[in-house]
Amino acid sequence: MSNPTDQNQVTQYLLGTLPEVERERLDELSVTSQEFAESLSASEKDLIDSYVQGELSGTMSAQFESHYLATLIRRERVAFAEAFQVFARTQRVFDDSSIRDQADLDKKRKRGWLSRLNIFGGQYPALQWGLAAAAIVLFAGGAFLLLQNVRLREQMSIEQAHRDELQQREMQLQKEIDQQRGSNTAIEQELAQVREERARLEEELKKSGKLPISGTAIASFVLTPQMRGVGQAQSVSMPANTGRVTMRLNLEPNDYQTFAVVLIDQANHQELWRSGKLKASAKGDDRTLNVSFPAGLLKPQVYALQVSGISANGRSEGLSDYPFKVVKY
Amino acid sequence: MVSTAHKQNRSAELREQTFRRLLAWLDQGVDTNGQSYLAIRERLLGYFDRKNCLNADDLADETLNRVARRLDEEGGNIETETPAKYCYIVARFVFMEYLRANEKEIAALDNVSRQANAISSEDRDRKEKMLGCLDGCAAKLEVTQRELIFGYYSGEQRVKIENRRSLAQTLGVSVNALSIRACRIRDKLESCVKDCAKRE
Repeated sequence: MSNPTDQNQVTQYLLGTLPEVERERLDELSVTSQEFAESLSASEKDLIDSYVQGELSGTMSAQFESHYLATLIRRERVAFAEAFQVFARTQRVFDDSSIRDQADLDKKRKRGWLSRLNIFGGQYPALQWGLAAAAIVLFAGGAFLLLQNVRLREQMSIEQAHRDELQQREMQLQKEIDQQRGSNTAIEQELAQVREERARLEEELKKSGKLPISGTAIASFVLTPQMRGVGQAQSVSMPANTGRVTMRLNLEPNDYQTFAVVLIDQANHQELWRSGKLKASAKGDDRTLNVSFPAGLLKPQVYALQVSGISANGRSEGLSDYPFKVVKY
Repeated sequence: MVSTAHKQNRSAELREQTFRRLLAWLDQGVDTNGQSYLAIRERLLGYFDRKNCLNADDLADETLNRVARRLDEEGGNIETETPAKYCYIVARFVFMEYLRANEKEIAALDNVSRQANAISSEDRDRKEKMLGCLDGCAAKLEVTQRELIFGYYSGEQRVKIENRRSLAQTLGVSVNALSIRACRIRDKLESCVKDCAKRE
């Protein structure tokens, strides 16, 4: 079925040149469809105006005159169109401001309530300026808040980055501490092992009768005075790492109260050590002198301790020699 | 014995009742205040006129009378077709009857119309009367209606087309909607002018 709004078809229908089948179809539409009827009426008026203005071709004009002008009703329409054309020419310069105003009004009505806010129509200048100022303030405030927001976000990012950095540093330091602790633990363990070994060795040495090897050990001996004539020096055995030697010297009977002792290297007769004024210790009838001197002075050779008595007036007299032979192990 | 006046009154009441029933049926539930009746009558008039019927007005009325009578018989409702379609079906029957009844006269009129001058003296007189009435009838239109119709029909050929396009844009409507609006105003003006011309 062809388009009923085809203008060419409609023109043919009005001029009576349409085939019967199509003509009947448009006949029915012209009654059953208000929309088509109005479109048909508009086309008919345009056709009439074209005829009146001499715009139709020769053929169409002939068809118009032979068919369209067949009824009184249609001739009256043509007469009206002619009169209207003449009258319209007298209205040549027309003012369409009313149409434009009406169009604006219609648009405002269509916008509904929004159209009532049309306060910029020039009727309320104070309100107009006030609203403009308020709009500017709102805009400025909005822009300020936006900038503040951006700045705070940037600041937050920086601080977050710093916090992350500190967190990483903390983790690193913790790791180093853990490593140190681990290292200390290893050292402590090693130290404990060494101590255990030393204790074990000292125990063994104790059992074997030998003094434990220690830099702070004191070797003690008892020496008797050398007998008249040449005799063997007393052997004293001391660990190599003895720190101090203590000698108890059994004194021959004498009248002195104060004594002095000198250590002599028998090899070269060099004085190695001298004591201060000493007092003898008495035990029954026997008196002894205790002297102590660094073991480092002694080598594996013969030495002698010379004991002198010191009188009240400070004059000293040699009393006895105590030779001894050092044996280090 | 029933008086003639009573019969006439009774007929009038029946006609009024029938007419109201017809209006209601044409409205299809939407009260148009008789506009549906006027619209379908106008369309029937156009149909009979395009069929070159001499008395298109009478034939349109006859069609609607028959539809109204059928409505009475059917109890106020015809469900087989829509109102417009049913009216067309009845109109076709009316036209066929008209053709059979006026076959000879129609043939004679066809010959006359083919030989007729484009514009007769009667047409010229008619035109002059209408021209005289146009000023008064145009004044009865609203300002916007007057501006629209003269704006719509101003100019020739291409200029007319451009004017209509511009006018449609100003009004914010399609060209088709504008043409329908202009047509209705022109019909209103034409009706006023015809009535005016008949009185003179």
